[in-house]
Amino acid sequence: MGLTRWLGRLASGADIPVFAVTGAGGRLIGEEVALLPGVRVVDSPREANILLVVGRVTAPLLGPLLRVHDQLPAPRATVWWPLEPDGDGLRSAIPGLVAGRPGDGDGLRRVFAELLSGARGSEPPVLPDEEPAEWRGVGPYGQGGTGMTGGVPYGRPLPARAPDPDGLELDQLPLRVGPFFPPLPPGLVLDIGLQGDVVRQATVGDNPFLSGPGDPSAGPEDLDTAAFFHAVASPRNVAELETARARHHLRWVARSLRLHGLDARGLHVLALSRSLTPARRPAVMALAGELGRSRSLAAALRGIAPVTGHDACGGPTARAAGVAVDARLEDPAYRGLGFSPVVHAGGDALARLLQRLAEAVQALDLAERAGDLVRRPGPPLEGPRGPLVAGAPGPSAALLGLLPRLLVGQEWGDAMTTVASLDIDMEEAAAGRPAAAPA
Amino acid sequence: MSWSSPLPAMALVGAVLVAGSYVVAVLDAAMAGAVAGRRTRLGDAALRPARHAALLLVTRRSGTERPDARAWALAPALLAAMAAVGVATVPLSRDVAVADVADGIVLFGAAMAVVMVGVFLHGWSANSPMPLLGGYRFIALALSYEMPLALVLIAAALPAESLSVGAIVDSQHDLWNVVRQPLGLPLYLVAGTGLAFWGPLDTCDAADLAGGTAVEVSGPARLVWELSRRFVLVAVAVMGAAVFLGGWQGPLLPGAVWMALKALALAALITWLGHRVARVRLERFVVVAWTVLIPLALVDVFVSGAIAL
Repeated sequence: MGLTRWLGRLASGADIPVFAVTGAGGRLIGEEVALLPGVRVVDSPREANILLVVGRVTAPLLGPLLRVHDQLPAPRATVWWPLEPDGDGLRSAIPGLVAGRPGDGDGLRRVFAELLSGARGSEPPVLPDEEPAEWRGVGPYGQGGTGMTGGVPYGRPLPARAPDPDGLELDQLPLRVGPFFPPLPPGLVLDIGLQGDVVRQATVGDNPFLSGPGDPSAGPEDLDTAAFFHAVASPRNVAELETARARHHLRWVARSLRLHGLDARGLHVLALSRSLTPARRPAVMALAGELGRSRSLAAALRGIAPVTGHDACGGPTARAAGVAVDARLEDPAYRGLGFSPVVHAGGDALARLLQRLAEAVQALDLAERAGDLVRRPGPPLEGPRGPLVAGAPGPSAALLGLLPRLLVGQEWGDAMTTVASLDIDMEEAAAGRPAAAPA
Repeated sequence: MSWSSPLPAMALVGAVLVAGSYVVAVLDAAMAGAVAGRRTRLGDAALRPARHAALLLVTRRSGTERPDARAWALAPALLAAMAAVGVATVPLSRDVAVADVADGIVLFGAAMAVVMVGVFLHGWSANSPMPLLGGYRFIALALSYEMPLALVLIAAALPAESLSVGAIVDSQHDLWNVVRQPLGLPLYLVAGTGLAFWGPLDTCDAADLAGGTAVEVSGPARLVWELSRRFVLVAVAVMGAAVFLGGWQGPLLPGAVWMALKALALAALITWLGHRVARVRLERFVVVAWTVLIPLALVDVFVSGAIAL
């Protein structure tokens, strides 16, 4: 008993392992949790003691969220940063959850300390502990049927066989990942058929941010590109917009670095993005130079998922393929600044990294020179992912459309790199689209 | 005292592995803080691994649906045991050697080959897709690590005309192998980093698999896995120090201190590279291993053999 108490006291000084789940409107705050001192954002719910829910949990997200909840080991607690007054769906589903103020690291620490001291009990499971399919196995290994490879173990069929490019018949493992799989953007669900490590089939699942019955519609204020969506219809300071663009690209760089195993470097870039002003341009230039020279990053990204000018996408993805499309070319506010788009050749994941780094530097240069210049609504607006048009789906919708084709034939790691390199946001993909049909 | 008796041997090897892995954890946290631009107080950095371990000890172990529980428990034990075998073959000073056997580097190479079994078991036995993919990844790459590792160790044995690690250390009295065989240490470090699945060669527990073989592991089981993995890194660093950096040899300080400093320097180098070098792509690494690393390791063997003759 004494040893347990002593261990608990020692453990309460540990970095808090948090599995962050992002609902509607929560992506920016959810990512910045990693910057809170004494907090460690982890990739697996099994590694976490705190489940942090940021933003509004839409109806399609609730089921997966509850499954994630029950995967956290005891002692566990759920902290919810709701962003706005919300319905009681989540509260009734997880009775013990603690609602907190977004960004409140002290609140997280308090819950963690209470959990370890025993002042707060570990949350019980919220779903019944049942196997997803009835046990129908036969024999000590449940192989079922006859022979080692026959039958239906645990009520589920064995992977079907399918031909591979070498003409062999190999098992194809069906796999669903998302909507809270850390390597993917929040909300993205992929149904994948895997042969070994290679993606043979890929389908994008329903977007959980498409408003359904009982869900408030997603508004531009929820998006990580909110400043740009607002600028479609109202005057906006150019310096503000361009700084937001650079910040957006640096956040993307931070995510990519984490995916490639450079967590600490990613945190550094995320911190830089949060405190970004046009005066920090030298720091961003230094970062662009360093990452641009990195041979290991180049080797990790070169040749992955090349996009051509014929693909129906705009923004940095198209410009990284050498297509000089940019709505700022037609914008009087930018013409006065002598704007011309940066382009790269190749269109692969490496070109997209170099493109966004160059655009971040260019954006800060524009912001520095723009002074008090104001952009008036009217001409098309170039968002950080592509052109924004009032009432139309955001550029993420077009990027999402590239996915199944770009993923097929890739190894798992390259497939995850592909998704990350496109900078898709599922909320932006849902914005302006019709609501999902009632279930 | 005879360090080859069972109890002193276990105590010594255990102490080296535990102390080494603790220091590696502190170094790793300090380097991560420095790269992230965070100010870390020395006391915090020194206590962080202990606090993390305490948290894992009070956290409950979770299960999956119908895992192979025995294999799941065995996997980290296998890794730790192989790391212990590796450390045992290395004399830690002139007088302290647990098992400086005549075929020491062969035994070390064999132990490192069994690491592959441990990692695969860890991935396979969880009965979950991401760990399984992680386990397969290690299998796919393991030979690309083991071949260069075995070759550069053989090259290091040639000047000593012995497979005993103690003899290899003695053979570096006038000139360390890192100078005599400049290809050896870099190739050894690449292979060793892969065997410890660390930094750029951490493909089996990688972020793109949300943690790979360790996705489903929590509580004490995670602590044991993290420790075992660091044990392998410590074993790689200790053997590297002995075979390429002259082992316990050095002026003024006691041999064991030299050994510790050299092993620490190698572990620090591997840890630092882990924060600076992006993770490799599997297929590309296999191509590089078989077209560059293994041929270079063969050149190392041939040139070292010719010089030794």
